[in-house]
Amino acid sequence: MVRKHVAFPRFSHYNLCIKYFVEQALDAEYIMQPPMTNRTMEIGSHYSPDSVCTPFKTSLGSMVDALEAGADTLVMTLGFCRLGYYGELQEKILRELGYEFDFVNLSEYSTGNPKDYLKALRKIAPKASMAKMTRVGVETLKMLSCLDEIEAEYYKNCGFELHHGDFKQVWNQFLAEMETAENLHEIEAAFKTVKKEFSAIPVNKPEHPLRVGVIGEYYTAVDAFSNLNLEQKLADMGVEVHRWMNVTNRNLHYHGKNLSVEIKDYCKYEMGPTSTANIWCAKYYASHGFDGIIHAKSAGCTPEIDIMPVLQNISSDYKIPTLYLSYDSQTSDTGLDTRLEAFYDMIQMRKKAV
Amino acid sequence: MKKNNKNTTGKITVGLPNALLYSRYEVLWKTFFATLGAEIVVSGPTTKEILQLGTKVAIDESCLSAKIYLGHILALIGKCDYILVPRISNWGRQRNMCTRFESLYDLSCNTFRYTGQKFLSYNIAVSKKLTEEKAFLDLGMELGFSKKEANDAYKTAKKKEAAAWKNRWKKEEQLYKTDGMKIAVAAHSYLAEDAYFGRPVMDCLKKLGAIPIRVDITDRKEALKQSLKVSPTLKWELNREIAGSLQIHRDKIDGIILLSAFPCGPDSMVNDIITREFRELPVLIIVLDTQNGTAGIETRLESFVDILKFKKGEL
Repeated sequence: MVRKHVAFPRFSHYNLCIKYFVEQALDAEYIMQPPMTNRTMEIGSHYSPDSVCTPFKTSLGSMVDALEAGADTLVMTLGFCRLGYYGELQEKILRELGYEFDFVNLSEYSTGNPKDYLKALRKIAPKASMAKMTRVGVETLKMLSCLDEIEAEYYKNCGFELHHGDFKQVWNQFLAEMETAENLHEIEAAFKTVKKEFSAIPVNKPEHPLRVGVIGEYYTAVDAFSNLNLEQKLADMGVEVHRWMNVTNRNLHYHGKNLSVEIKDYCKYEMGPTSTANIWCAKYYASHGFDGIIHAKSAGCTPEIDIMPVLQNISSDYKIPTLYLSYDSQTSDTGLDTRLEAFYDMIQMRKKAV
Repeated sequence: MKKNNKNTTGKITVGLPNALLYSRYEVLWKTFFATLGAEIVVSGPTTKEILQLGTKVAIDESCLSAKIYLGHILALIGKCDYILVPRISNWGRQRNMCTRFESLYDLSCNTFRYTGQKFLSYNIAVSKKLTEEKAFLDLGMELGFSKKEANDAYKTAKKKEAAAWKNRWKKEEQLYKTDGMKIAVAAHSYLAEDAYFGRPVMDCLKKLGAIPIRVDITDRKEALKQSLKVSPTLKWELNREIAGSLQIHRDKIDGIILLSAFPCGPDSMVNDIITREFRELPVLIIVLDTQNGTAGIETRLESFVDILKFKKGEL
């Protein structure tokens, strides 16, 4: 059998985990396309419907990047909003452009019976052993939660380093190690090292630093290319940046029911795929003395637009400034800088006054 | 409200916003509440004022239909005890509503929190075993009626709804058999039915001598089945009805108009799929937004009708 060359659209650091699983469990080669660039966005927007949400455009562009890098099998995720319909349309668009590839659209396998996802894996690796997939699956999740944990620590602290670039260097080193890791031992060892090295970096953090919580649409809030390095920009101004939303919290250890209990004053039902989490998060930041909240989403994201009236109420109840950012393919770096600087100045003045 | 109030405390009044799912559930809602003995107030048809009111309170990026809806709620506030805003998530696997229908109740409560208006809701998420029947029983009991009363009212309403709907789509079906230029207008019912937005488009087409046919008025069950031929992973119930209905009638129509609200989430992708899958037919996409004025749309409809005439050799 010919070894497949599998790829997945770029999404934050999670491609590293998919790579690990594909290579260690499925005995296929993973194609890591280059990080997304403006060209990715241009190609994606060019072939996408105008008013579709931005992640459709970037992920389409990233699929083209992957095909150009030698992938012959593309995997696309399922989802509970428009995301769940991305795959079918993207496949059509790419085929009409003339690309040849196998397409594994997880939406086709979401039948309600989790066993059917196994069929999707079988499409990539008909003979992969069940025991191996289970073991590697567990290791992959371990890698994923290590990455999420370290990333969270990174954005909380990198704004206060004495020597510029210390944190970034260690974080990049860790990412490089995750890209080449071949077993659980390597993952755990690298995790231990990065933890140790992080704590050894000299920092100058005030007792009460400015703290900002980032919430929003899954893809845009989490993916640094999509939000134009929102968190790094904030951190560079000297802000402790918190973001609850990541795959570990939203998918691995998620208890939506319990979160909804805590926000029942604001909403009775689950308003959308990440709505409960975001509303809960906003309330958490608001009631835990944070200085501001930033709500990041792609333009036209229906579920996130719909929680904005709730966020406005939380913002006024708890007197916490909230900045709403909507990203589309035209959003510029400079425009974002201006808004963030103004937001920073405002929350800093408020803090002094209080 | 306590059980068995049986109008001892006076009738309750339920407000029904004449937008979004009203066009779909008019018969069901009216019969259900009327059978229980509640008063019903329906907001008037959409006007410029309603649109302006709604646009003012809505989040900028909301779709036109949501803005209209909020305008209708504003028109009802203070005129009834409760305003009905259902929460509908799905009818089962691959039968989802746009997430806006999932959020609509809480969205409305939060938007109008300052008014003190009370809202009524019922919750449908068949994937979580919350069926329509259960939803209506709970709704009736929440209003203080007994389970039996609620059940009877629901059964009566359901029967009436089914009969009315069958009548309605059988009538629409007749249009496909008439002679003349048949244009399938593919729009969500709430947009096609809207007095300020959809109706003028239908009227204009009639004036131009065409026969506009509402694609959404169809045998829903069959349409759901057929929709998978157009798009196997399509998961929005309302879009599946439309795509399936187009599939059923694709040999009987001369052209398709895809009429969408700006920026409709599902339509932003499904319109693209439909244009790709119905290449043999001329397709016109019209996206309606809060910029009103019909001249631009009329010009586009005229030229579309001209193209169809030309194709038929009538021009």
